[in-house]
Amino acid sequence: MTISLRQRLSAYVILGILALLIVIPLIAGALTAFKPQIIWVSSPPIWIFQPTLENFEFVFIQRQNLLHLRNSLIIATGSVTIALILGVPAAYALARFRFRGSKGLLQWLISLRMIPPIVVALPFYVLFQTFDLRGTHFGLILAYLTFLIPLVIWMMRGYFVEIPSAMEESAMVEGYSRLQALRKVVLPVVTPGIIATALLNFIFAWNEYFLALILGGRDTSTLPVAAATYVGRARVEWGNLFAVNLIIMLPVIILTIILRRQLVKGLALGLVE
Amino acid sequence: MTASTEVKPVATGAGAFRRWLYRMSQKYVHWFFIAPALIAVLVVAIYPIVYSTGLSFFRVTFDSRERPFVLFENFAWVLSDPDYRVVFGNTLLYVFVTVSGAFVLGFGAALLLRRITAGRNWLRLILLLPLTIAPIVVGLTWNWMLDPLFGLINWILTGLGLPPQTWLASTSTARIAVMLVDIWQWYPLIFLIMDAGLSGLPRAPYESARLEGASEWTIFRRITLPLLRPVILVALLLRTVDAFRTFDLVRVMTDGGPAYTTETLSLYLYRTAFNFNKLSRAGAGSMIMLLVIGIISALMFRYLYRDVERR
Repeated sequence: MTISLRQRLSAYVILGILALLIVIPLIAGALTAFKPQIIWVSSPPIWIFQPTLENFEFVFIQRQNLLHLRNSLIIATGSVTIALILGVPAAYALARFRFRGSKGLLQWLISLRMIPPIVVALPFYVLFQTFDLRGTHFGLILAYLTFLIPLVIWMMRGYFVEIPSAMEESAMVEGYSRLQALRKVVLPVVTPGIIATALLNFIFAWNEYFLALILGGRDTSTLPVAAATYVGRARVEWGNLFAVNLIIMLPVIILTIILRRQLVKGLALGLVE
Repeated sequence: MTASTEVKPVATGAGAFRRWLYRMSQKYVHWFFIAPALIAVLVVAIYPIVYSTGLSFFRVTFDSRERPFVLFENFAWVLSDPDYRVVFGNTLLYVFVTVSGAFVLGFGAALLLRRITAGRNWLRLILLLPLTIAPIVVGLTWNWMLDPLFGLINWILTGLGLPPQTWLASTSTARIAVMLVDIWQWYPLIFLIMDAGLSGLPRAPYESARLEGASEWTIFRRITLPLLRPVILVALLLRTVDAFRTFDLVRVMTDGGPAYTTETLSLYLYRTAFNFNKLSRAGAGSMIMLLVIGIISALMFRYLYRDVERR
């Protein structure tokens, strides 16, 4: 296809504008996190100033957001770890064995992702009162498994399918049992896939708001819940708010850069190759 | 257990039992791998759904001791609630506008990307960012951008000689503002899916079409669109389902206001349960929502698999 110079130029201009529209709000917000209180808000916007860390100091100490950071870390790592332990073997079996109902099982698992969170949040809320799980880390970890397990199975199945089954078969011919072959031959090959799956699921658990809002107690609030409490006050503390925002955003941006190739697969549920 | 036990001719009962056990363990080995995950999913997803369904047939509040069986009373209440109708309409409009907006913008950007060479990967990376950043963070950032007094958007508007707007506080603009932010966050998903789809297209049909002198528009309509059909369906399905249950963004940007113009189904059900203490009514409402989402995804999955099998 021959593309005229004008077509190419207009494509660059439009895509450049789209990129700027994404980047500018993120950068402007991130900058505000480092602004001293007197210029949190200003019109026209101030781009050059003496950066300060006082907003971070304030949110961590006065507003106790350090506790929320800790909660977010515990809940996200805990739920992702459990989802991997449960999901990876299942993904392996669904990739390797063809049995009656295997295709149906897969479709059923993927359809679980479509459940609106309110549907599980209501019963969890009632059940957590009964079992005294409200306001515990474990309760939220349990609730997060609802969407993490299906996602782990779907992503990991994709990675297992790519490994030729001849690999573990030849290991089994040499006298390994299936479990040994799995541990010594398949696992090393699939480790990058497991890491990518773990990190993407971490992002989802880290960003989650709805379940954390309903099922988290005062002591188990996560960072997104804490961030949302900054609005709706008489005077919004923008600098402090953006300090919290940046703490939520930064690890995710780093992971996005690391994972950029695997992300599309995970976000599109592996339905697009 | 090794292969040698299998070939040994054993006549005793115990041996036969062991052989049977071995055969069974070989035949059903996959269940050992699947069972833990399956049991977990049954506990954390299916049990709650069943419980929710049950809930919607009883009258339950947070402090109620008795939970009388009321059959369809909750469903009748929800369906006859005028607020529910408004909110349902809001949600449908929200889904329609944000999904079609994101589709046009995302597909358009993916097509434009074909025309450029330098900076492709940079653009792909930048467009990944809104997808992975928490909707809460996106909403809060745009609250600040749209602030009527010192927001960047109004500053640009006044610079261009246009009147500033009270974006999130006025009934005429709040809806548009929230929908635009939703599109800002999610059109990159359509972009990435369509970009992956376009990269996977075969070259042969295009070459022969060009030889026959077909115009770019004809090629797009007759070759690109039909080949991309399954990919388009996946993109639309994912986006429609997610848009239908939007909560985070609306919650931090407007919390449903002003005057209910941005109240979505999830927000309404959340309020019904946790602010108005009508747990079972929210349960009934969420069942209706689940049903609608189930129908949407079933329809799209059906088209999708039919398409895949035809090829």
